[in-house]
Amino acid sequence: MNARVLLKSLSMPLALALIVAFFALREPAFLGARNLTQLLIEFAIVGTLALGMFMILLTGQIDLSVGSGVGLIGGISAVLIFHHGWSAPAAMGAGLAAAIVLWALMGTLIVRERIPSFIITLGGLLIFKGLFWKVIESSTVPVARGDEDNLLSVLTTYYLPDNGGLGLAAAIALVLGWLAWRARSARMAHNLPVRSAGVEVGVWLAKAAAIVGLVLVCNDFRGVPLSLLILAATAAVVFYLTKHTPFGRYLYAIGGNEEAAVLSGIAVNRVMIGAYVLMGVTVAITGFMMTAYSGASTTTVGELMELDAIAACVIGGTALKGGRGTVWGVLFGALIMTALLNGMTLMAVEPELKMVARGAVLVLAVWLDVRLSRR
Amino acid sequence: MLLETRNLTKRFPGVVALRDVSFGLAAGEIHALCGENGAGKSTLIKLLSGIHPHGSYEGELRVDGKVAEFKSIRDSEAEGIAVITQEFALVDELTVAENIFLGREPRRGLRIDWHTMHRRATELLADFGLPISPDTAVGELGVGHKQLVEIVRAMDKKSRVLVLDEPTAALTEQEVAVLLDHLRRLRAQGTACIYISHKLDEVFAVCDRITVLRDGASIATLAARETAIPQVIKLMVGREITELFPRKATEIAPTAAPVLSVRGLNVAPARGQPAFLRDISFDLRPGEVLGFGGLMGAGRTELLMHLFGAWGTRLAGDVTLRGEAYAKPQPRESIQRGLVLVSEDRRRYGLVLGQDIGFNFSLSSLKCFRRFGGRIDAPAEQVRNQHFFDSLRVKAPGQHARVGGLSGGNQQKVVIGKALMTEPTIVMLDEPTRGIDVGAKLEVYELINRLTAEGKAVILVSSELPELMGMSDRILMLHEGRVGGVFTRAEFTQERLLAAAMGKTEAAA
Repeated sequence: MNARVLLKSLSMPLALALIVAFFALREPAFLGARNLTQLLIEFAIVGTLALGMFMILLTGQIDLSVGSGVGLIGGISAVLIFHHGWSAPAAMGAGLAAAIVLWALMGTLIVRERIPSFIITLGGLLIFKGLFWKVIESSTVPVARGDEDNLLSVLTTYYLPDNGGLGLAAAIALVLGWLAWRARSARMAHNLPVRSAGVEVGVWLAKAAAIVGLVLVCNDFRGVPLSLLILAATAAVVFYLTKHTPFGRYLYAIGGNEEAAVLSGIAVNRVMIGAYVLMGVTVAITGFMMTAYSGASTTTVGELMELDAIAACVIGGTALKGGRGTVWGVLFGALIMTALLNGMTLMAVEPELKMVARGAVLVLAVWLDVRLSRR
Repeated sequence: MLLETRNLTKRFPGVVALRDVSFGLAAGEIHALCGENGAGKSTLIKLLSGIHPHGSYEGELRVDGKVAEFKSIRDSEAEGIAVITQEFALVDELTVAENIFLGREPRRGLRIDWHTMHRRATELLADFGLPISPDTAVGELGVGHKQLVEIVRAMDKKSRVLVLDEPTAALTEQEVAVLLDHLRRLRAQGTACIYISHKLDEVFAVCDRITVLRDGASIATLAARETAIPQVIKLMVGREITELFPRKATEIAPTAAPVLSVRGLNVAPARGQPAFLRDISFDLRPGEVLGFGGLMGAGRTELLMHLFGAWGTRLAGDVTLRGEAYAKPQPRESIQRGLVLVSEDRRRYGLVLGQDIGFNFSLSSLKCFRRFGGRIDAPAEQVRNQHFFDSLRVKAPGQHARVGGLSGGNQQKVVIGKALMTEPTIVMLDEPTRGIDVGAKLEVYELINRLTAEGKAVILVSSELPELMGMSDRILMLHEGRVGGVFTRAEFTQERLLAAAMGKTEAAA
């Protein structure tokens, strides 16, 4: 039992270390600041989508439509900007609204009509893909007119200036410290045991050092990518929701035992629709980033991303049958997934083999999940 | 003896389900097993059919005088023992013929020989005088016919011993008559039958001998011709009530308005189906323990689940909860209005087993801890959880222990704690002491006293009559979805309650 828990908690860092070591040995450029920054942007894109998927998987449901959704929402915004001359914020607002409506609709069909989420979202995969190709008329739609940058096009190309990044790191570290201090004094007010002040400060220093270190690595190339900040903000929101609000507790309860959740007075339907709406929001954000990263909306944007997102969650310890998983795990899983894809691209592995590797990782991750959750 | 048990003892952790049971089944007899819920009938059947395999019990099981060592159902079937339970082992989507030969399809090479299957099924059905086509889908049959199809299948397997567990629970009187006729015919052909039923008139109508089980022991085996229903009831009940049930009745002001009042309630399992609960009326006063008794399938759990909002469609009737009409119950609203349910199936309906004790405790009460921004005040929650952890005396390393790893009694405390944390006015406890040890039982009883002393009202469902009589101020017996009788403490006798549960109020009174 204990050996198994240890194995489980060590398996992720170990896997990441192995992957990094392998690529670093085969291709020294892998650890270069330039490639690391690239990797972080790709990580931000996959990670954001995985965080939305995480909340769906927690309830024991699934969403196969997100890859097509990423293409569709990015496509809608790109077409509005390029063909219709909308401003980028307005076009992105329209894309976000469309995503919320579509995902609210799917969530409603799943909970009210009791259609399995697998089927609804499999239908969504095809429908959104069709709509996507219709919207961009199966052509290539740039994210900006001419050479002007706009809010959409800079999502993956803007980097914080060096000092800005450091300033932000300091600000985040201060906020973390303040939160830790507040939580500690709340526990003391209730006469609950707390960690010694020394340990508390040590933990805070470690976190602060990690953040500053990350910024320094990024500054080595061009600075902290904007997309990484978007991922961080998304992760903070999802972490807060799942860890500190009744909504998050209900996600875990529904995935753990839906019947008991109903009898405990939880509005299961409302919570599940909420989870799908949040999925829609992350699909929109990912759609903007992915399309910007490609430079234009083309028919292949977002393809198979649903599988990357699911794989990231499962690699990170999220149970497919629901009720188990953490935000940290999901981020870790997304990082492993991205490192693999990025490393293979860097080594110029042929796309055919990349596909095989991607599938193998997904199967391996689910197999591990099944093995480890069998008690 | 065709089938015989000698000194069978079966232990489960903490309970002896069967002690020293000796029982014999002769060829060509119908032998009834009678006993209260929990007397050990099901356990005995599971031993006879190999579900509890050889080695998991003490004593001997003999078939044709030879010791049998069943490792699984397969082994018992090979010896010709067929068990037919209330949950049919039929596939609704397949036809009658396909079901009869399921797993033993006549073949020609690799293919199923449909002609032979059809012909033999037709013969078997004709043999039984069953007016159904072998091509009918089983899902289209009524419960009675399904039961008979199961028996046909058992007979085709050349079964020598037919075990029927509550075969008539869902049958109409006419279907019962048909079934009993078939059993008599089978008996004439030499098939032996073990017949389990709560319906004693059926038992006396068809059985040759009756074995009474009580508390896991075989009390007596009687020839049906030489005994009568009252004597069997007396043997089934048998035991004395000890002071195991420390009920301290609270003073209830006779003028106190009822907190829950039910009038003429009729409820169907789903829209478009006939009513299962019929004409149910009762009042519940603050500080009172109202016991619900009845046989399995009498509708106790369904009534509780319906009042709570988790079962059935109301066809008629009024429910008044704390002075206000409550027409469309929903679990969420019930909890908000002070009505909570502790389900009998705590693992299925009560607990999130993969989470810890604290998570489960506060699951229904998270609103109380909500602060600015929808945040849960974690320290306040932890303090409250600890309060329930301590006051319910949960035995675990701490509130961060996983619920799935706790014993039954401690799991039950967690479910009860979750319900009580919502600060209810009415607590409905469905079999709160099932599967928990004596010490934990006593704690549940003390908790019931504490609740009523605080002016809360309790509805207690229990299959154990002594417990029901020991802890209730009044008892309402249900019989097939109706009120079979309401008794005040002075009127409690086991005979009277059991008679009401069997729908024989007049005879016993």
